[in-house]
Amino acid sequence: MDLTNGRNIASSAPARVPGAWWKYACGALMCYVIYGAFFIADGAAGFGKGGDNARAVFFHVPSAVLSSLCYFIGVVYAGMYLFSSRYNNLETDAKSSIAMELGLLFCTLATITGSIFAGIQWGVFWNWDPRETSIVIMLLLYASYVVLRLALAGRPEVRARLSAVYALVAVVPAQFLIWAVPRLLAGMHPTDTLQTSSGLSLHYKLVLYPAFLAFLLVFVWLFQLRLRAIKLVSRREAVS
Amino acid sequence: MIRGAVQPDAAGWASQARALFLKDVRAELRTRVALSSVGLFTFAALLLIALATRVLKETLTVDLARLPEAVTSEQIRAHMLPAWDDPGKMGLLWVLLIFSAFAGLAHSFVHEEEAGTTLALRLSMAPGAVYAGKLCFNLAVVLCVAAIATPAYVLITGLHTGPIAEFLVLMIAGCLGLGAVATIVAALAAKARGTGGLFGALGLPLLIVFELMLLNAANTLYGGDVTPLQSIKDFGGLISYSVLLIAVSAVTFHFVWEE
Amino acid sequence: MSKQVEIASILPRESAAVSAWDLFVQLDRITHRFGSRTVFEGVTEAAQEGEILVVSGANGSGKSTLLRIIAGLLTPTSGRAIVSAAGTELNGAQRRRLIGYVAPDLVLYRELTGAENLQFFAELHGVRADRAMLVDLLTRVGLRGRGRDAVGGYSSGMRQRLKYAFALLHDPPILLLDEPTANLDTNGVAIVEEIVKAQQMRPGGGLTIVATNEPRELEWSARRVHLGPGA
Repeated sequence: MDLTNGRNIASSAPARVPGAWWKYACGALMCYVIYGAFFIADGAAGFGKGGDNARAVFFHVPSAVLSSLCYFIGVVYAGMYLFSSRYNNLETDAKSSIAMELGLLFCTLATITGSIFAGIQWGVFWNWDPRETSIVIMLLLYASYVVLRLALAGRPEVRARLSAVYALVAVVPAQFLIWAVPRLLAGMHPTDTLQTSSGLSLHYKLVLYPAFLAFLLVFVWLFQLRLRAIKLVSRREAVS
Repeated sequence: MIRGAVQPDAAGWASQARALFLKDVRAELRTRVALSSVGLFTFAALLLIALATRVLKETLTVDLARLPEAVTSEQIRAHMLPAWDDPGKMGLLWVLLIFSAFAGLAHSFVHEEEAGTTLALRLSMAPGAVYAGKLCFNLAVVLCVAAIATPAYVLITGLHTGPIAEFLVLMIAGCLGLGAVATIVAALAAKARGTGGLFGALGLPLLIVFELMLLNAANTLYGGDVTPLQSIKDFGGLISYSVLLIAVSAVTFHFVWEE
Repeated sequence: MSKQVEIASILPRESAAVSAWDLFVQLDRITHRFGSRTVFEGVTEAAQEGEILVVSGANGSGKSTLLRIIAGLLTPTSGRAIVSAAGTELNGAQRRRLIGYVAPDLVLYRELTGAENLQFFAELHGVRADRAMLVDLLTRVGLRGRGRDAVGGYSSGMRQRLKYAFALLHDPPILLLDEPTANLDTNGVAIVEEIVKAQQMRPGGGLTIVATNEPRELEWSARRVHLGPGA
């Protein structure tokens, strides 16, 4: 697979595998988060079932935050692909698409964990509160990006350009999702069911903040693995 | 030697866009592909809505929270409200308009791509002018559809317009966003050559947030005690969504258009 | 707006029959790939005002691709196609203005008439297309009296003729002809040869690049690029 500017993923130096130490750290941290979620943090007051369902927060909130972060990263790479001649290559496109794919993954995880939590907490798995609505729209935006890429399989350059354009165009709804939707829907649903983080106890902070870091490391790891996989596929295609 | 009056400067960007718009209008008036498909779709959809909501339209509901402790049937009757209120009707109207628009708007780019006339356009005009011309044409189609479908919808469902000026601003702002989304998505879908399904799959997710904002504006419209500031905020939000989308599309369009 | 000023500055005045154009097309080590398939590699050639450059090669050797690159419709994988006039390298808008293009994959609007097509594209080029000018143009390509028929009803030969009218609308100094006589009868071939001849003697200068495999058209010029194996 060739790049538009003549450079070639396949011919570039094989991706160096970075030091493995932080991957061990990531594993240890994740173990700590899982342990902490059940044994360090207490059941939260104010939640039903003795507050045990609140433990979902440690997995749900980092996924939700990552799903927005992924979109941001994907859009930055898309912009670089289109507007910078230096980054106008298929590697940038691959990075953009990987961020979007991982965004879809984390978004799905956040939706599922959030829905389970809501189901236990409020007895309904879905009640269209602002966050739930936002995340399902986000999920749709990610999914349509992936659908566009699928429709363009086999035409790598066109796929790179069109999907980058779509990612940039979708910034507009994504922006309004962040700024406008919570406010709009709060108007429709006067009871704000969300808990603010200001009420977090120390126990929770001790687990939640490491959880953010652990999820971030998992994201970086997955990102690298996907990039290496894509490079290997393109090298094999170039050889055959 | 053939020579037209070669003017010293090439046709400006705006006159190219205008020429493309007029060409599309002329071709449309001749073939009527977009208008007839959208028109038929809208008519059939209106019929379906009329049938499906016949009962709903007459259903009344009571807000229990507002009733006094011991109620008489008299009091209940006094508190009866239509189950399907005006914001709800407005929501369905926009669902109808969005789907109707999507039935026909892909045509503008897909037709050029399928007929192979994009090459002649690329040889003759600036990419930005292509975008502007197509945007104008799509806006014209959306406005036509809305102008015909909305009165029919009002007759069928008994939707109130509320303050007429604000209602019109709401409808036009909605059409603007719809046309803006449809134009860039039609360009993408046409290039992807996966016409119908892809057009909807790419376009609808971009419109959901917009539809939410429209519904919010409709709530304000029918809310009664509305400050002018609130309506300005609502309409401003709608229009800024469209303007932003058009700006991003205009900046990125040539990446879609060029080979 | 600065673009338009630039265009204006390099356009010759009607009266100026001087070769102020100084047209020059230079193909500088052009390589193009579609995916992993290399179409051609390192194509280098140049042509000047008054010349005809013939591009030949087997089917699939990339003749049309090369013409598209010269027209600025396609960016080559590497290398450059420089088109310059009066010492200035032309940008996209200027190429649109100064290049006339005929190719098999060029399609005009079937739902419009021949005259409407020409009128539309003339407007895009900023050329005033009055009736006399359209009749003139249609006569020149042998379509006189057919201007009011929808292009959808044209035969393939008539469509090829209309493409010449399209290409000559804005009186371009550079003509790019891909399979110039495809679908044409003897009369049509004669018209094309007439057009090419006129282009070389065009007041203000003209340059023609032809992609073909027809033995007769290969004879049009000694300056040739052969694409494909053995190039």
